[in-house]
Amino acid sequence: MPSNSIVVENLSKTYQVPEREAGFSAAVQSFFKRKYKDIKAVHQVGFNIAQGEVVGFLGPNGAGKTTTLKMLSGLLHPTGGNATVLGFTPWQLKPEYLRAMTLVMGQRNRLAWDIPAADSFLLNQAIYRIPDDEYKQTFKELDDLLELAPLMKKPVRNLSLGERMKCEIAAGLLHRPKVLFLDEPTIGLDITGQVRIREFLREYNKRTGATILLTSHYMADVTALCERIIIIHQGSLKYDGGINDLSRKIAPFKLIGVRLADADSHDLSGYGTEVQNEEDADKRYIQVRAEDVTRVTSRMLADLPIHDITIADPPIEDVIEQAFNQ
Amino acid sequence: MNFLRLISTFIKVNLQMSLAYRSEAVIEVLLDLTWLAWELLSLQIIFSNTVSLGGWGKGELIALLGVLMLVNTFLAMFIWPNTEKFNASIRDGSFDYVLLQPVNSMFLVTFSRITVWRIFDLLVSATLIIVGININGDVIAPLNIFIFILLAISGSLVIYSLWIVLIAFTFWFTKFDNNITILQALTDTGRYPATVYPWWLRVIVTFVIPIALATTIPVQALRGDLSTSQIFIFFGISFISLIIASQVWRVGVKRYSGASS
Repeated sequence: MPSNSIVVENLSKTYQVPEREAGFSAAVQSFFKRKYKDIKAVHQVGFNIAQGEVVGFLGPNGAGKTTTLKMLSGLLHPTGGNATVLGFTPWQLKPEYLRAMTLVMGQRNRLAWDIPAADSFLLNQAIYRIPDDEYKQTFKELDDLLELAPLMKKPVRNLSLGERMKCEIAAGLLHRPKVLFLDEPTIGLDITGQVRIREFLREYNKRTGATILLTSHYMADVTALCERIIIIHQGSLKYDGGINDLSRKIAPFKLIGVRLADADSHDLSGYGTEVQNEEDADKRYIQVRAEDVTRVTSRMLADLPIHDITIADPPIEDVIEQAFNQ
Repeated sequence: MNFLRLISTFIKVNLQMSLAYRSEAVIEVLLDLTWLAWELLSLQIIFSNTVSLGGWGKGELIALLGVLMLVNTFLAMFIWPNTEKFNASIRDGSFDYVLLQPVNSMFLVTFSRITVWRIFDLLVSATLIIVGININGDVIAPLNIFIFILLAISGSLVIYSLWIVLIAFTFWFTKFDNNITILQALTDTGRYPATVYPWWLRVIVTFVIPIALATTIPVQALRGDLSTSQIFIFFGISFISLIIASQVWRVGVKRYSGASS
């Protein structure tokens, strides 16, 4: 059992946000006397992540994902609880800690806009005190996986979003961090771009054994990379476990899809809840409890003119949405 | 030693950046020369009517102009471009990356932009100082030149500290883009020797707003006008202001990480 890279206990962050009613008089009042409201962005969250693990961190907008990542990377002080990453308390911002981790935020730029990425990389080499030979080797490895070389000489502003993201990620990895916090690393990229980054992260994790905690809006990122997911909603932990166990625990349902001889004339409400599925228009789907699948299926086969039948787990997106709503 | 290595990398990278905007650099140099010509012309006009201004002769005022240009060069090389970068980084959130680098954040904010070609202005201001001194025909003791250099550096450090405090206010007020307008307005008061101003303004210009520390006072040292205790008081002021500035910065950064989301 490898040791834990990340240990989080009862971590909480409460913001004080100024609050006022709409309108002019309220604006004047709040100028003289501000009212504050406490927002619990993160509330008593706890989990451990083992060295080398890749964990997906999921939740809707405003769930507290970025706040948690910022606390773990050291940018924010928590208002309660504790966390250690690689044995360091992140928000003390010890240089030894900063040299061992990286935070990549898909929506923020680390690279200077007007110069080629190669020059920004040199800057990082100096800042992280990376010896020349080590730098060369790391760069070669990253170039292997991301095909950076053709991008290095163009000013960053002339790169496409996908190319820039590759450079941003590489810039964050030059110092060979042991822990990677990735906040929406594939945001805005097209499918090919997303797949490239995904493949890269998987390969990088395999080669270096780095611990990765990543948030993403694209479910495919998570299903492709993570065996384990942590779901957070309204600041609280909702689920922590295997991605395959999720549907069993949160939504113990199966989807039965049938293609019928005269599709629209049958009423399926007696078998289960009918659900919409845009992808496959000539099929109709009903959702039934997992333990009822065999019974319902045999009844349907007996009663209905069925051409084709499928039984599947509900899409992970739906399951997670269900988890949020619980 | 690592800091020196870092600065040299910063210079290298920034040189690349200014080469991307060559024409801008050329125009700036031309503007500086025009400014200089104008200042010299107005000195010429003043001294066609009088022989001394607040006890200062023409040569000394040219030297003062050189020192003022030196200060302006220092501002244009480090302070203005880094302020621009800093304000942008607060706005778009990339300041997060500054904090997460294993180097002192105040250092990064100070040196990440360097307008390297301003070295040209540095040469011009050095010329002005030397010419100004020679017009008077006085022989200046090497010790005074040495003290002059030290005082010019410590005066610049005071301006630098003021700058750090001003931009650190951004951590409290978030929207504080005009944080250095004050500094810009102030550097202009250094144009004439502080002794031209009435005593109360002189106190303000010297101690409250320390521009004179970087302009008039070093030139006074060249003239041998300063007593040893005065010199040490000025060193002390610059040392203390640097300490205050770094403390304000530290608290500000802590505040930033407490409040941002």
